[in-house]
Amino acid sequence: MDAQSRIKQLRYQIADHEAKLATLKEQLLGLESEVSRKSLAKTAITITPEYTGSRIWPLHADEYTRYGRQMILPGVGLPGQLRLRAARILIVGIGGLGCPAAMYLAGAGIGALGMADGDVVELSNLHRQVLHSSEKVGLKKIDSAVMALKSINPDPKYITYPEHLDPVTALDIFPSYDLILDCTDTPQTRYLISDVAVLCGKPFISASALKTDGQLMILNHPPTPHLQQRNGVSSGPCYRCVFPRPPPADSVVSCGEGGILGPVVGIMGVLMALEAIKLIYSGSIKLENGGSLPSLLQASDSQSSLKHSMTMLTASGSGLSTFRSIRLKGKRTDCIACSFNATIDAKYLRSGSLDYAVFCGAAIPVSVLGKEERIGVEELSKHMQDSKHNSIPSLPNLNGHVLSSDHLAPSSPGRPPIIVDVRDEAQFSICSLPRSINIPWNVLQSYKNTHDDTDALLELKSQLKRGNYANVYTICRLGNDSQLAVRKLEQLNLGGQLSIKDVSGGFKAWKQNVDKDWPDY
Amino acid sequence: MSLKPPPGFFTILYFAGAKDYTHKEKELLEAPLEVNKLLDVLEKKYNGIGEKILSSCLLTVNLGYVDTTEETLIREGDEVAIIPPVSSG
Ligand SMILES: [Zn+2]
Repeated sequence: MDAQSRIKQLRYQIADHEAKLATLKEQLLGLESEVSRKSLAKTAITITPEYTGSRIWPLHADEYTRYGRQMILPGVGLPGQLRLRAARILIVGIGGLGCPAAMYLAGAGIGALGMADGDVVELSNLHRQVLHSSEKVGLKKIDSAVMALKSINPDPKYITYPEHLDPVTALDIFPSYDLILDCTDTPQTRYLISDVAVLCGKPFISASALKTDGQLMILNHPPTPHLQQRNGVSSGPCYRCVFPRPPPADSVVSCGEGGILGPVVGIMGVLMALEAIKLIYSGSIKLENGGSLPSLLQASDSQSSLKHSMTMLTASGSGLSTFRSIRLKGKRTDCIACSFNATIDAKYLRSGSLDYAVFCGAAIPVSVLGKEERIGVEELSKHMQDSKHNSIPSLPNLNGHVLSSDHLAPSSPGRPPIIVDVRDEAQFSICSLPRSINIPWNVLQSYKNTHDDTDALLELKSQLKRGNYANVYTICRLGNDSQLAVRKLEQLNLGGQLSIKDVSGGFKAWKQNVDKDWPDY
Repeated sequence: MSLKPPPGFFTILYFAGAKDYTHKEKELLEAPLEVNKLLDVLEKKYNGIGEKILSSCLLTVNLGYVDTTEETLIREGDEVAIIPPVSSG
């Protein structure tokens, strides 16, 4: 064996022994503090052991200072801090939820923080993903996170998994953690994490946020026992118990599509850290490395924390900000993941027989129009150029939000198109084409007839009436809603004599192929 | 917040996707009403809401969750909530 490989081997062996040593030390501390607690309980007054001149303190001197403010809380104390230090938490997803959760967990002195994420930091993440900063754009999120977390607190062990979770990796990773935080962003991963957490007997906290709304649940707590013993044992519901049917794929909205306010997702992430810290110091979850670390809280307190945990917390940040606690029922007796009648097991998951993408249904790109009903962005651009100098007497704007500004001087021939932009008002306000009319798809969709006139609809009708236009074009952000809008306009007979066409690929294609300066929001 | 609805009505709250679908945060509906009839009432008001939202949502009456197939009676003054799963984060 050459020197290099010998060095490598020795390093591995040292690391291995150090890990074993750490576990032994933790077990020793656990037993010591249990013994001292028992003796305290016997005497019922606080008696410190005789001072012998060489006391070994369970925490490092700095740790008393660093964690003092939380340790002096009733219910935490030294036992609580030792439990936090023995705990191993896995955070799946280091985005809007995972960042604040990881910061507070690192700050609290959790022993080991595992983090799984395959993404790279993007500029559009930074308004809410508070661990990442401008100079980290392009770095892997987990690398960026570890850098920032180490500067908050170098004590915890940070373990990184630079990949998106699949059933096999999840089944391999979960067993070495005490608690899982689901900070992911798709229905698929939410069901996957729930199923694997149930199989591995791990409680998990599931939170989510979109626009101005958030949800949080503590699930599989206490964990579901192995299949044979499931009947009659009281354990908490899983994600499938609460949401047995995934939402239809075409109604699932991501933060990229629906938007998200930073503080809303931040609050949810911070609440996840809060619930995790409480679960651990209170002794209401089992720690793999905890030996028999006690907690200052009595068993009855853990029981009440159990009742408390059977709720969903919803946060609504629109209008008057409100939180609601919704009582969850226990498990479903027919749950396919966690009931006595469960059909999902580890072998089944490892074989790949459960395809989460299929279960949740893939969002099929909308394709309802024939070729003759669509035009490309280049064609739209050309049409607009050719008719640029045409004399359409510009009507006074009915209201600034509805009609895009018009700077074009009337002169030469070529009939311009009527452009109906079906993005919502907020997106329209960010950028729009000259003279385009904004009729958001969700508004257009709800029209039963054209009698409920809005300003935008009146403008469309008046342009149609004037008769010097060629074609009606619908456009949206990606080119899905605009296709549906073509059908709806036809149905409402809002094209008059003109043909209604969809601009395929929407503004995404417009930016790519026509206008490089178009805002990338 | 917990303004009592007028006699003969209950309050229904729409969360997340349900809020987007109905363009409302809440409204009043006529009580009493069986939970399993609620879906019909909403489908009539909001075409397509059954499949798009209600099929996968959590339904609660007075902050406790109920199954949509249950024969629970919603009474006047009750607070019903439609809570679709939010999956992003
Ligand atoms: Zn379940």
